[in-house]
Amino acid sequence: MIDFEVQTRDDGIGVVTPQGRLNMVSARRLKEVLSELVEKGTTRIVVDMGETTFMDSSGLGALVGGLKSARQAGGDLRVARVSPAVMTVFELTNLDRVLRARESVDGAFDD
Amino acid sequence: MTEHPVPELAALEGRLELSAPATPEILDLVHGMMAHLFSTHPDISERDRIRFEMSVIEILGNIVEHAYRADIDTPSGRRFDIVLGVTEERLLAHLADNGLPVALDLSGAVMPDELAESGRGLALATAALDDLSYQRIATRNLWDLLCLRDSSG
Repeated sequence: MIDFEVQTRDDGIGVVTPQGRLNMVSARRLKEVLSELVEKGTTRIVVDMGETTFMDSSGLGALVGGLKSARQAGGDLRVARVSPAVMTVFELTNLDRVLRARESVDGAFDD
Repeated sequence: MTEHPVPELAALEGRLELSAPATPEILDLVHGMMAHLFSTHPDISERDRIRFEMSVIEILGNIVEHAYRADIDTPSGRRFDIVLGVTEERLLAHLADNGLPVALDLSGAVMPDELAESGRGLALATAALDDLSYQRIATRNLWDLLCLRDSSG
C-alpha cells in the first residue's frame, strides 16, 4: 500500500512524496502522477523519497519515465531524502549519477 | 507443496511458507512475511534486509508479470509458492510457479540503457544476491535466492 502526496509550491516546483512501498503495483500510480504533473505544466519535479520504505526496479522505472518526460518538456526531475533502501537500488543499477540524490527537498533545484 | 527447496531451507523450523495466486496484490503479503522474518531476527543487518527483500520482490514481480502476460485471455490459475528462511549465515528464499518457462540466462542479465524504463529486475536481483538460480522442472519454474549474511553481495 502506498499514498502519494502531491504539492505544487509557489516557485512552480512540484513535490511528490510516495509514502510506503514502491513496487510494481504502486509504480504504475507514481508514473501516472508524474505524467499528469508534466502535462499540466509542472516540469520541475522533486520526488521526496524520505517516506519511501522500499523500492524495486518498477519504482525505478517510474522515476526514469518521469525524468524523461520532465526533461522533454524543458524541466527536470530530482530525488531528495533518499533512504538506504532506495539508494541501494540506484547504486546497483548505476543510476546514482542520473538520479543524483539531493539532501533536501527545498534545495533540490539549487544547482 | 513446494518442490525441492534447498534441503537447508526445507529443514528450518522457523521458515515461512505461502502458496497463493500470482497477482500483483499479493506482493504486500510477501512484504509482510519478510517484515515478520526480520522482526524475529533483529540481528540481520540493514544492508542484508534491503538486498534480500528487493531481490525476492523482483523475482516475484517477474513471476506475476509473466503470469499475466501468459494469461491475457484467461486470467487466473497461475499460482506460486514461496519459502523464506534465515540461518546464522544465510538468508534463503525459494519460489516456484506454474507459469510458462522463462527463457533466460542469468549470467547475461545486464543492465539496460540508463534511460530505459524496464528490464532491470533480474539484473538487479543478480547484482544484489550472492546466488540466484533458476530451473525449469516439469511444469514448474523454480527459483533459489541466497544472501550470505554480511557479505559484500
